[in-house]
Amino acid sequence: MRVTVISIPVLDQEKALKFYTEKLGFIKKKDTPLGGGNRWLTVVSRDAQDGPELVLEPAPLHFEPAKVFQDALREAGYPWTQFDVDDVQGEYDRLVELGVEFSMKPTEMGVVKVAVFNDTCGNNIQLVEEL
Amino acid sequence: MASVLTGQGFGKNIYDKRMTSYQEQLSILKGAIYKNQAQLDAVIAVRNHINHHYEADLNLDLLSQTHCISKYHLLRLFKRYYGQTPRQYLIDKRIEMSKTHLEKGLSVTEACFAVGFESLGSFSSLFKSKTGKSPSTFQKEQLSRSMLKSES
Repeated sequence: MRVTVISIPVLDQEKALKFYTEKLGFIKKKDTPLGGGNRWLTVVSRDAQDGPELVLEPAPLHFEPAKVFQDALREAGYPWTQFDVDDVQGEYDRLVELGVEFSMKPTEMGVVKVAVFNDTCGNNIQLVEEL
Repeated sequence: MASVLTGQGFGKNIYDKRMTSYQEQLSILKGAIYKNQAQLDAVIAVRNHINHHYEADLNLDLLSQTHCISKYHLLRLFKRYYGQTPRQYLIDKRIEMSKTHLEKGLSVTEACFAVGFESLGSFSSLFKSKTGKSPSTFQKEQLSRSMLKSES
């Protein structure tokens, strides 16, 4: 067994694609129509295009409990998932410049430094740098 | 809570600036498991040392002497904070760096020695167990991929 996809629930796939590619810098990998305007839509890290794909899936639109869970996590400030970066502060500065909103500024937590931003599609995402 | 304490009511600003429940959990965690800054500084320094000198002949004795920690204490602390032993971390780092060398076209033997392994056999078997393919298969795949890219 291999890990190839990580699911991210999004309220609007097109908006998510724009945010994840234009602001975060991911690259679109797969985009297949699934009927009803839904798509199998994945993006990958620019530095690891063979690595795991993020599936931007419209779960909260079609499955109420997914929406309830997503809303509760977001409101409590919990990240849906996290991405590794080499420099949290640098990434924070770059994203703030692009208008991305952070609920947590770069903060040292033991052997890592973390920050949390809003992906505008229903989730908090955490950035992590190992110190 | 802040509104009660400050008597300012639930103005929007105060509401926006409150800690999220996640941040509260983090600060509890920080107080519980990350309160010993001296230990943190020590393991972070050791990890940085490995990052900068992974190609050298690193071992626990050397790391513990350089950073003035007893070697069993270092082993315990590193594992506790990073979830891996220094040796495991070093091997992962070397394998990761060897991939870069292989992508640039170094031979398997050159890549092996460039990242600090002393035996081609152990490099090849570690590489295979960590990445699922042998160094030469990995290199062939990467080279054919970059040729495809330059053609398109």
